[in-house]
Amino acid sequence: MKYPLNVRVNGVETSVDVEPHRSLLNVLREDIGLTGPKEGCDDSECGACMVLVDGRPVNSCSYLALQTDGREITTIEGVSEPSCPHSIQQALLEEGGVQCGFCTPGIVMSAKALLDANPSCDEDEVRLALGGNLCRCTGYQKIVRAVLRAAEQLQDRAGTTG
Amino acid sequence: MSETLDLREQAIRKWGSDNRAIRKGKWIGKPARRLEDPRYLTGAARYVADLELPRMLHAVYVRSPHPHARIVSIDKSVLPGLGKTVFAFTGEDLRDVPPLIDHVALDNLLRTPQPVIAIGKVRFVGDAVAIVLAADRYAAEDAAELLSSVVEYEELPPVPNVAASGASDAALLFEELGTNEIYREAITHGEVDEAFAKADRVFSTPFEHNRYMAAPMETRGVLADYDRADQQLTVWSSTQMPHFLRSVIAGQLGLPENKVRVIAPEVGGGFGMKMCTVPEEIAIPFIATQLGRPVKWIEDRHEHLIAATHSKQQSINLEVAVTNDGKILGVRGEFVGDGGGYSFNTESALIEPALAAKALPGPYRIENYREEVGAFLTNKSPVAAYRGVGWTAANTARELLFDEAARGLGIDPAEFRRRNMLRSDELPYLSCTGQVYDSGSYLESLDKALEAVDYQAFRQRQEELRQQGRYIGLGISSYVEQTAWGSESSAQAGTPLPSHDNATVTVDPSGKVTVAVSVSSHGQGHETSLAQIAADGLGVDIKDVVLLHGDTSNTPYGLGTYASRSAVIGGATVARAAADVREQILQVAGKMLEASPEDLVIEDGKVSVAGTPSRFKTLADVAYAAHWDSEVRNSEPLLSATRFYDPPANYANGCVVALCEVDADTGVVTLDRIVAVEDCGMVINPMIVEAQVHGAIVQGLGGAMLEHLIYSDEGQPLTTTYMDYLVPTFSDVPPIEVISIETPSPFTVGGIKGMGEGGQIAAPAALANAVADALAPFGARIEKLPITPDYVLRLMGKIG
Ligand code: FES
Ligand code: FES
Repeated sequence: MKYPLNVRVNGVETSVDVEPHRSLLNVLREDIGLTGPKEGCDDSECGACMVLVDGRPVNSCSYLALQTDGREITTIEGVSEPSCPHSIQQALLEEGGVQCGFCTPGIVMSAKALLDANPSCDEDEVRLALGGNLCRCTGYQKIVRAVLRAAEQLQDRAGTTG
Repeated sequence: MSETLDLREQAIRKWGSDNRAIRKGKWIGKPARRLEDPRYLTGAARYVADLELPRMLHAVYVRSPHPHARIVSIDKSVLPGLGKTVFAFTGEDLRDVPPLIDHVALDNLLRTPQPVIAIGKVRFVGDAVAIVLAADRYAAEDAAELLSSVVEYEELPPVPNVAASGASDAALLFEELGTNEIYREAITHGEVDEAFAKADRVFSTPFEHNRYMAAPMETRGVLADYDRADQQLTVWSSTQMPHFLRSVIAGQLGLPENKVRVIAPEVGGGFGMKMCTVPEEIAIPFIATQLGRPVKWIEDRHEHLIAATHSKQQSINLEVAVTNDGKILGVRGEFVGDGGGYSFNTESALIEPALAAKALPGPYRIENYREEVGAFLTNKSPVAAYRGVGWTAANTARELLFDEAARGLGIDPAEFRRRNMLRSDELPYLSCTGQVYDSGSYLESLDKALEAVDYQAFRQRQEELRQQGRYIGLGISSYVEQTAWGSESSAQAGTPLPSHDNATVTVDPSGKVTVAVSVSSHGQGHETSLAQIAADGLGVDIKDVVLLHGDTSNTPYGLGTYASRSAVIGGATVARAAADVREQILQVAGKMLEASPEDLVIEDGKVSVAGTPSRFKTLADVAYAAHWDSEVRNSEPLLSATRFYDPPANYANGCVVALCEVDADTGVVTLDRIVAVEDCGMVINPMIVEAQVHGAIVQGLGGAMLEHLIYSDEGQPLTTTYMDYLVPTFSDVPPIEVISIETPSPFTVGGIKGMGEGGQIAAPAALANAVADALAPFGARIEKLPITPDYVLRLMGKIG
């Protein structure tokens, strides 16, 4: 038995019919065609599937799709336009915080959620906020640096515009 | 000294003098941002799991719940819709597919043919019993569960570890072999007995290396599509070796190799695990040929932790004979591998113990050495490659023992190392195990690392804190890393394998560059580092270079990426091919500019007469003319060259120093700081090198402090999710500083050495030595990993 799901995904009103047992990750990837969020564990342990639901970071593998009815979902595909990367994407590029890239969508989403909520975060807060994101390649060093750099840039920008 | 000169001369004679030729311009050595990153950062990168084909079936495995059992029956008829909407294949259905067997060229190694789906018998929990397919993954999972519930097994006594495997009444994994011990060999180098007889002191340590695994964030996955009309098989696999996999698939399935195409799309980490051909990479394509429909298998994490290859586990007994003033006279070592249910294809169960034994001497002058290697089968997932194969265990056991010896002799551990370490002017050096260390900075690396942490001040502070009941420790771990696996390196490692790699560089009519390589990137950033080499070779910007890799249909044959080979081999093949194309360009440009090609330079995409920059043609103009202008074009007009490279062995080196504090009440170890000195010869991209060091160190940290694949005495895996199998997180990792030394290899093109494994080789010993150093007042001896809080409390005598 399928139920209608109406959500706004990356700013686009989207309607699909889904079975109640299906995860948000599964529906995003298979029905909506957004393969940016990854499955690393399907168990809420790795953060590769991280998306924002109403701005809040969630592991989409462990979130029922139907629970998001009427809500706003942002995936990695909705973070920026290629011509104008988000500060965190730019900082990861500049610091070299990407290797195989499999964890990267989840890292970007967690970091974006952190920066949206707390643009003046310090290193401990970064490590805490990204604690649910596993990366097997980078040893985390350059990712931490990148998030701090993005935070700095966002603050500078806030300083100049505000 | 004369022997040293001989080695150099021999090497140059053998490998030729153009080995050193590489054109270094604006790009090599620059921390260029990675060209591939935008697609990862925006979610556009597509891994196997992201691919969909029309009429695709999802495959789900039925895997053995028993460590050791006979398969009595599998009744597929219970599956509703069998043959229509649901399909199932057992080992019997794949009887015609030959089993996988290792390729190691050693006569006295017993072989354990592994059917791609188990036939008759299962040998570990997770062994493949059947594959079930349906158009929908959930439906396939339900059907697999149903089939799983009706498989009848006759359980056999489990063989959970080496002790059980070697027992006289042990059940045999392969009855036909008559034993579970598939290899045993001892080799003596020099005068070992004399050395031990002469010694003032002998120190020894038993060491149990834990079983841990690569566990890349992307699990394994295969998608296969067979076009019956063209008889063309296409396989997408998360592999490090697409061409080699093509050869194996063609051989196993009896297909002409030119009718098989393998694509490694984006690969989400491999670390050696995705090097060997896994049974799934044969079974899934076979089923696709049988059904004539695309078949996709994506491993889930639970399946990965029990059924993907494990690594590292071995028992090492080491003894070192020393004089009172700390000179090493001789070493004896026994290395026994716990190989799991099958001696895995490509490198066999020797991959851990044999490589450990050969690498044991490391950066030290050890002339008298007896190595004994054994390997046993056990009912666990097979052991195969993971970053730092064998070398991690050897380094950890040796560096722990050297600290032990230094403590016993009352010599500072750094000083003990210095007294036995090879000086740069002793290189090239032929180690007693036959490894030719080409060049390096062993002592310099040690000194630099100690300087960075202000070693003397640390010792003082340690003393002061001890008075207050606080325990800080510092651990040193020096290493050499064998790199650039070609024919020579693999032979020197003790497991000879032939090697073959190529790159093709092409300049198109618009003057843009396409480089196709046989090495395959899975996170290493080749699209940038190899573009840097091509850009310097041709005098263009890296943005004008496109790198193709991972697809057998558009890249030349080669062995892919493993064992720190791609910077050296990929780099050299690209440099050589670019040099040839440069010649072709200069020929054409010479005619256009009415100058001799020798007088021309290419820089920033312009070909000009040296010294007269105003006399130039753009590369685009030259390339256009080379293709279209019959007046100036070459007799073979295509601006393209393919070049080969099978490198001489070469060795990176370095030193990792770790600082920690142990909480004496809880046993919790806090890591304060890690410093790594890395010398990998000429550096192509320092940002990428630093990133590789970080990643490797943290994987080593995982192995030393957290990760352990545990089996019960009954052979059941107990670490089957990330809740039980702990990999390092953002909060487990201290700051890591990387210091670079560049000692070019005298043997390789451009002096490049491989790198990427040193961190994993060296970090565990640095961390273990740091903990042992902190706990020296308790007389603690670390004899196993990982160093968990309860083990620390045991080392302190606080719990029994
Ligand atoms: S896939 Fe969702 S947390 Fe790992
Ligand atoms: S970059 Fe590979 S897992 Fe993070």
